[in-house]
Amino acid sequence: MDDGTSQYYFTASMDSGKTLHSLLKAIQFQESAVFCAMSEGLKLTVEEGKCVQASAYVPADNFTEYHVRDDVDVIFKISIAVLTECLNIFGASEESSLKMYYRSEGSPLLLVLQPQSVHTVMTDCEIATQTADCLLELRDEDATEVAKLVLKASAFLGLLADLERSCDVMELHLSPDHPNVSIVTYGMQDRSCIEVPKSSDMMQSFSCEQPVTLKYQLPHIRLIMKALAISSKVVLRCSSNGLLLLQLKLEKDEQRQMFSEFHIVPLLDDY
Amino acid sequence: MKFRGIMIDAGPMREFTNIVTTISKLSKECVLRLSDDKLYFIVSEDNSGPAPPVLWCEIPQVVFFSEYQMIGIDEEHKDIYLSVISANLAKSLVTLKSAKSLKIKLTKKQCPCLTLEIEMQSVISQQSRQVTHDIPVVVVPRKMWSDFHEPKVQTPDISIELPTLKQLRTTIDRMRTMAQEVVIRASAEGKLTLQIKTDMAKVSTRFKDLRVEAFEGPIDHSDSETESVAIEDISKLCHCRVDAKKFSMFLSADNISHNRTICSIVHKKLVILCLYTQENVKLQCFITGIVY
Amino acid sequence: MKCHVPGPNVKVLGRTVHVLARFGDELYLESLPDCVLLKTLNASESAYAMIKFNNSFFSYFKYNFYSTEDNESLKCKISMKSALNAFKSPTHMDKQVENLEIKLDPDACKLIFQFKCKHGIVKTHYVSILDCKATQAVYTKDQVPNRIITSQRLLSETLGNFQSSDDQVTIEATNQSLILRNYVDANIELTKIIRTQINLKASEFDSYTVGVDTTITFTLKEFRALLAFAEALSLPIQLQFETTGQPVVFIVHNGTTFEAHFVMATSKPDALTQTQASSQNNSRTDYKRKEVNNSVGPMKKKPHLDIDISKCLDEDSHLFNYIDIPEETDLRPEKNGTTEANAAEEDNLQEYMDCDIPGSPTSRTKIKSVFKRCFESTFDPRSIQGVKLVENSDSD
Repeated sequence: MDDGTSQYYFTASMDSGKTLHSLLKAIQFQESAVFCAMSEGLKLTVEEGKCVQASAYVPADNFTEYHVRDDVDVIFKISIAVLTECLNIFGASEESSLKMYYRSEGSPLLLVLQPQSVHTVMTDCEIATQTADCLLELRDEDATEVAKLVLKASAFLGLLADLERSCDVMELHLSPDHPNVSIVTYGMQDRSCIEVPKSSDMMQSFSCEQPVTLKYQLPHIRLIMKALAISSKVVLRCSSNGLLLLQLKLEKDEQRQMFSEFHIVPLLDDY
Repeated sequence: MKFRGIMIDAGPMREFTNIVTTISKLSKECVLRLSDDKLYFIVSEDNSGPAPPVLWCEIPQVVFFSEYQMIGIDEEHKDIYLSVISANLAKSLVTLKSAKSLKIKLTKKQCPCLTLEIEMQSVISQQSRQVTHDIPVVVVPRKMWSDFHEPKVQTPDISIELPTLKQLRTTIDRMRTMAQEVVIRASAEGKLTLQIKTDMAKVSTRFKDLRVEAFEGPIDHSDSETESVAIEDISKLCHCRVDAKKFSMFLSADNISHNRTICSIVHKKLVILCLYTQENVKLQCFITGIVY
Repeated sequence: MKCHVPGPNVKVLGRTVHVLARFGDELYLESLPDCVLLKTLNASESAYAMIKFNNSFFSYFKYNFYSTEDNESLKCKISMKSALNAFKSPTHMDKQVENLEIKLDPDACKLIFQFKCKHGIVKTHYVSILDCKATQAVYTKDQVPNRIITSQRLLSETLGNFQSSDDQVTIEATNQSLILRNYVDANIELTKIIRTQINLKASEFDSYTVGVDTTITFTLKEFRALLAFAEALSLPIQLQFETTGQPVVFIVHNGTTFEAHFVMATSKPDALTQTQASSQNNSRTDYKRKEVNNSVGPMKKKPHLDIDISKCLDEDSHLFNYIDIPEETDLRPEKNGTTEANAAEEDNLQEYMDCDIPGSPTSRTKIKSVFKRCFESTFDPRSIQGVKLVENSDSD
């Protein structure tokens, strides 16, 4: 990186932007995201209404170079759709090196990409940034965790893929007694139920003190499928207020990891 | 009018299929002009008048056909002009890639048709089997023939050899999701830039070390708002804004095994993309520049 | 009824549901003491499919699990969508499912599919029963002059030459060759459509008997679906057909555990739109004149299995019948063509009555020998109509 950029708010570079691209695509269910560069790493957050909040988190050790000025907040709103298209400008089959620059508040985010195999081409992108909206704080300090499951991501993806797409609601029943995990969906005239015992080898860990039944909008749950497809592990945490937190881990290579997180608000019964 | 041609070599049959497939992506209908030594596929915009056609493709028949016979209407009108739905032709030729031979002839069934008789080798039974496709065509009346003559365009300001079409196509397709128009900029120093600009982003893909075939500069930029990178000599630079989708459609020719593709630009007015193959097939696409 | 389907067969059942889904929107399940039948009929009543699973298909089969009466068969109708939801991806199932339990409790109004999968996972689908009717079709299977057995690959390869937009195909069979052509509706503008024709020689087929030169036309949608079915299970297909306008029957079976019948109505090709000059033109126009009155409603080229549901319980004058049998009625096949034949159809009736054998979908025990014997070039004049439970009883 040039010395000329040392006063920039944020600069980073990576050998290949491919994994970052996949991770961002996995949370791309809205047009824009909040981009936040912290000293620990990079986090992008997307929200849908007041019901779903998804984040992609890339720890700083994933970058070959990573600088954030500690006297400023590097946080802005950016089109995640444009960002992912630019990261993929040379196509999926090409590994391209990536450099990111953010000069100061209000500057566009500058990306420079160069394919590793071809040296006679490069792409530079200037992506407009705007002031970030406030992000919802969905976590409730007073709520306690009532259940936690750790599963293989691919196995959980298989279960979700099997749910009838046209259903609106998914019921999640968790209990210390058998069957420990039940996922129920209702169709027009039918009912389907998937049961997973805690002894199943796809369940890496299970803890649940009291039986709990929670309902979520199935389309919200389905939003995590893209992220599940690129992840190795998923942790489900249910809070006493019904909030579902899913944390997914993506192994890149050589012990470097990226993460995605989904907070999903439950459906409350109308009385 | 009579026409009969036979193809028996796998390579030409595959290439022919690729060419027709590319044409079908560029336009729904096209005109097939048959002459003694060449086949032409011509696509022109309706009522384009003196403007060049969208596509002009020349195929020397001798490389493709083992037998080729044609008879026009009379001495003065030696060629045959047929209007055909390119998609129909492309779809019928799909199986040609694994065929033993192709016979193509002009016939009259319930309407004039191009009849393709393809001899296929069955994978299962080791027998060869014949597949016949009758593709309806419309004979183009003589008074319209002038619309389908070789295009004459002014000498371009620059002609530069393009990098691989596949690479260009990947990039243009990504750009298309963000903008509808792309500016193609070429310099006598062998640099080519594709650029899109919207409210949300400005993306530029820059190629260097390209071979410049011809340059008729210097280019006059006095009337324009040309952006310049400080170190560049803008008199050696010309550009043209075109519809990104049209450009992308031409790039689907990447499946034609080709020797080289030349991009010629008439500053701000016209982009000509010309693909040359080893068999001397010439596929030319004319994209009119967008001017505000 | 309660039965268990072992792992490897679950995929077959899944494929069955998928092919039936291409035919109709409702799935009829019928359990008899020794087998289970799955059937469907399409909305325009021009295609019917029936797949029979013998006891040997199941690792456990108890017909009267819930009831103690033996002489009543259990039947129900469910929505095809429900069935597809239970069998979402057959290939995936192959690797995941260890066992499937199906329970049909007539009192509970639910059909239950419970899949025991790997990793201890259990997936249960409680499917509502729409009603307890059965469907039954009557069609000629054995006494036909034309019978061809082929690997599905041959037909798939051939169909690959047609456009996906083609929706009907005409087969012209002589004892030397089989010609397939895409059928073009007279209403469609000829100048826009590619007409394709493929010639296959008799020697390309595993077995080829064409006793009477015949031309039949039927829809491709269901045909493609049944080819995909045969391909997924790597089984050959048997085609049986007789004269123009009569249904064509496709049979796919593995000889032991299941047998599938796909029956499709055929229409008569309009002699004007087909360009091939053939000696059959004359005979076709003859049929055409006679069959003018046969179609239901105004004359149209659409293939249509002759069905008039309200009438079929009273009289039957057609070779092919779809009967919606309410629960109380006797299950044995309807008598065919007895008294009140429609006056307009009488001409046809006379010709076809001789080959009219009420087919009971349940009798499949002598399949192999029956097929061997029916390589006859003429109809068996001794086949008579009447109530017959076993269809090959007079094929000797």
